[in-house]
Amino acid sequence: MKLFFATDVHGSEICWRKFLGAAKHYDAEVLILGGDMTGKALVPIIDDGEGKWHGTLLENRYELNGEDEVVAFEDRVIKRGYYPFRTNPDDLRSLHENEARWHSLFQEKMLGTVEKWMKMADERLGGTGVRVICCPGNDDQFEVDAVIDSAKTVELGEGKVLDLDGFQIVSTGWANRTPWDTYREEDEPDLRARLEKAISQVSAPAERTLFSFHCPPYRSGLDDAPELTEDMMLKDAGRAVHPVGSTAVRGAIEEHQPALSLHGHIHEARGTCRIGRTLCINPGSSYEQGDLLGAVVDVDGKKKVKRFLLTSG
Amino acid sequence: MATMAGDAPYEERSLFVRKATGLVRGWSVQDAFIYAFFSINLITLGLYIFADGPFIPKGSLIYAILLSGLYLVFQTIVYAALIAVMPRAGGDYVWVSRILGGGIGFVLAVCGWWFINWHWVPIYANILSKEFFQPLAAIFGWNSVVTFFNEPKGIFTASVITAFMAAAFISIGMRNYAKLQKFCFLGGMVGLLIIFALLIFHSKSAFQGAFNHYAVKTYHSTSPDAYAATIKKGTYPGASQMGGLAFGATILLIPMIAFFNLWSNWGATLYGEVRGASDFRKNIYAMAGALIATTGLALVFLFLIAHTMGWNFYNSANNAWWGGTDQMSGVWPYPVTLASFFVSPWLQVIVILLMSLWFFGWVGTVFLTATRVIFASAFDRILPEWAARIDRRGVPYYAILIMLLPSLVISYFYAYNSTFTSWTLDATLVIAVTFCGSTVAAGILPWRKPEIYNASPIAKYKVAGLPLITAAAILFLAYLGFCIWKWLQDGVYGSNNHNSLIYMGCLYAVAFIIYGVSRIVRKRQGMDLKTVYKEIPVE
Repeated sequence: MKLFFATDVHGSEICWRKFLGAAKHYDAEVLILGGDMTGKALVPIIDDGEGKWHGTLLENRYELNGEDEVVAFEDRVIKRGYYPFRTNPDDLRSLHENEARWHSLFQEKMLGTVEKWMKMADERLGGTGVRVICCPGNDDQFEVDAVIDSAKTVELGEGKVLDLDGFQIVSTGWANRTPWDTYREEDEPDLRARLEKAISQVSAPAERTLFSFHCPPYRSGLDDAPELTEDMMLKDAGRAVHPVGSTAVRGAIEEHQPALSLHGHIHEARGTCRIGRTLCINPGSSYEQGDLLGAVVDVDGKKKVKRFLLTSG
Repeated sequence: MATMAGDAPYEERSLFVRKATGLVRGWSVQDAFIYAFFSINLITLGLYIFADGPFIPKGSLIYAILLSGLYLVFQTIVYAALIAVMPRAGGDYVWVSRILGGGIGFVLAVCGWWFINWHWVPIYANILSKEFFQPLAAIFGWNSVVTFFNEPKGIFTASVITAFMAAAFISIGMRNYAKLQKFCFLGGMVGLLIIFALLIFHSKSAFQGAFNHYAVKTYHSTSPDAYAATIKKGTYPGASQMGGLAFGATILLIPMIAFFNLWSNWGATLYGEVRGASDFRKNIYAMAGALIATTGLALVFLFLIAHTMGWNFYNSANNAWWGGTDQMSGVWPYPVTLASFFVSPWLQVIVILLMSLWFFGWVGTVFLTATRVIFASAFDRILPEWAARIDRRGVPYYAILIMLLPSLVISYFYAYNSTFTSWTLDATLVIAVTFCGSTVAAGILPWRKPEIYNASPIAKYKVAGLPLITAAAILFLAYLGFCIWKWLQDGVYGSNNHNSLIYMGCLYAVAFIIYGVSRIVRKRQGMDLKTVYKEIPVE
């Protein structure tokens, strides 16, 4: 069974489109998205009157004349993984002063985008026989689960064991603690308990078991992230990298030895490693560039997975 | 920007960011500066190559350092732009692979960052001998040790020490290595300030006296006026002129000085999420700032040498050393050693130890980038999976062995076989060729990968209608082209050796063969390496 795995697309529509196209491109039967689907920022496009607008992307201010330029700017924002919205100076100020209001707008844009993506999956892959599994990650709000769960083609992975042509895959987007206090993170013992609860539902032998855990195993090389200072700056200009993965995830892999364990979370830590017989993969993420980093893996039920490629599509 | 909405002005908000992993407040330019500054290492690389000045006697070292230092700002723009467009991609290998293709990326990176760094180990070792072992041994009166490091077994021993030291620094992990580098930077700067103070607060006549004293006492010169003897034996037309010399000859010094100032890109920050144009500027500030600061310090150092030791003496000492007519028993006239003659031998030891931190904080670079290339090509399945294996402490032991063992073999031949030594003369050239690959990739990026380029924070920057990245790439490419042309064509750089070219050509052939064999083997295993960088069509 050939599967394609990508992760951490963070609202990048171009990455999502490529993800859906990966089935045909790599001849994959199963597509798995490992979490962190949703974007990180809202970008206002401000009406200056008389058909003129302005917006700022990546700290560059753009003056926009007319609808065509506004649409092109919106497209640019969407490609970057952010959510554009049109507003005027007064409304923007009111939004700025009311945190609950902009959080609500964020949620609306975010869930609207996920809904749109689910429909896109139905249109592209519905009836093709390609299985698509999404498991939200620690950065995804809980409301995302319901949107995925209600989709026709895409299956929700969180906490479930799914059968895949003689294999079983168990997924979770939960992670150990991060400095950002994100939606799905918890202490290591709790995470281990969560993993064990999900794994206990697996009935397939180890060589036919796949893990899709958003958080990478501790000290695997797939979890090397730059150390941060107390005020959230990259320590030593990013050179002070250290392992930030989960000991719970590592413990689960060491104990259960699935054939394959798929991870994401740390965008810079693209790579593979073996923990015992288990092949662990973190394809990394370059979602900002619309570049879909992924992994094509051919699982054959043998003790060790040997046919795999990290891709940069 | 401040704007009016409602009753009072307020700072218009251009972005609403929710809580999410990886959102950081950037990095300190000062920290990035330190690493770039350390890569363009004034003490290890700079002083070492400035000693070659007499080979182009009519050229002005001062102007050559200044001109090339300013011109190489274009290099920092190229690399800062590449990082802004493709952050976190991991450097030259991934950039070239994604823009020009996997095969080209592999061959250029493997030769320029991996194979060639085996050959840099004896070069680093030579610097270790000349700036650490020999000066200290001379002060302690261990003459046999001084001689030992001039002999093949000494060169090999220093190479073994260098290789193991680099391996050890990689083994302690990036976090600890970063701490070590910072410590070495601070200690090394203290040492440099002491040297500057010694040169500022002493006169030329005081130096003459100190040199004459220690040349006899420590280095066993038989001349009662070793200072005058050095000038007599080593001087040449132009040796006493700091500037105002022939422009053409000064330009010819630039490819020589590239050994010192071509490395500002090693300080580039590759981590973290690029938030916008300010991150691009910060990378330029760090790299170009380090380049300009190092250039400035080099000029200050040379002016102080001229002030206190005499420019004629400095050039003559180097020339006499090359000619074997020096007054220091064949020990390289390391300017740090010379400046420390003003203080007692024990204080000389302390100064040299402090200045050796410039070497110890830098030595890991000989393996560091190579291990990254080994990892990236193993993840691309070109190298076997085991090449990227790490142990439970995170030590990349196979990658280290892949660097360590061949470097020891090469160091052995380098030390004991002068023919082989001449084959390694193109060490800088091979890295420059790799830089060419990255620069070409950067130059064509706006057309080759328009989606990625247009989504970047630098897409707005243009110069005379050309994207800034392309304009900077053309200018840097002109520099690289000139250097490569001169290295290949002019004997003065010692790198236009026919056998060296054949040898280096063999390294490229080996890289090409590895790539070709991998393609075939992986195909048979059911994996097509062509798909690694093949873009998925967006429907």
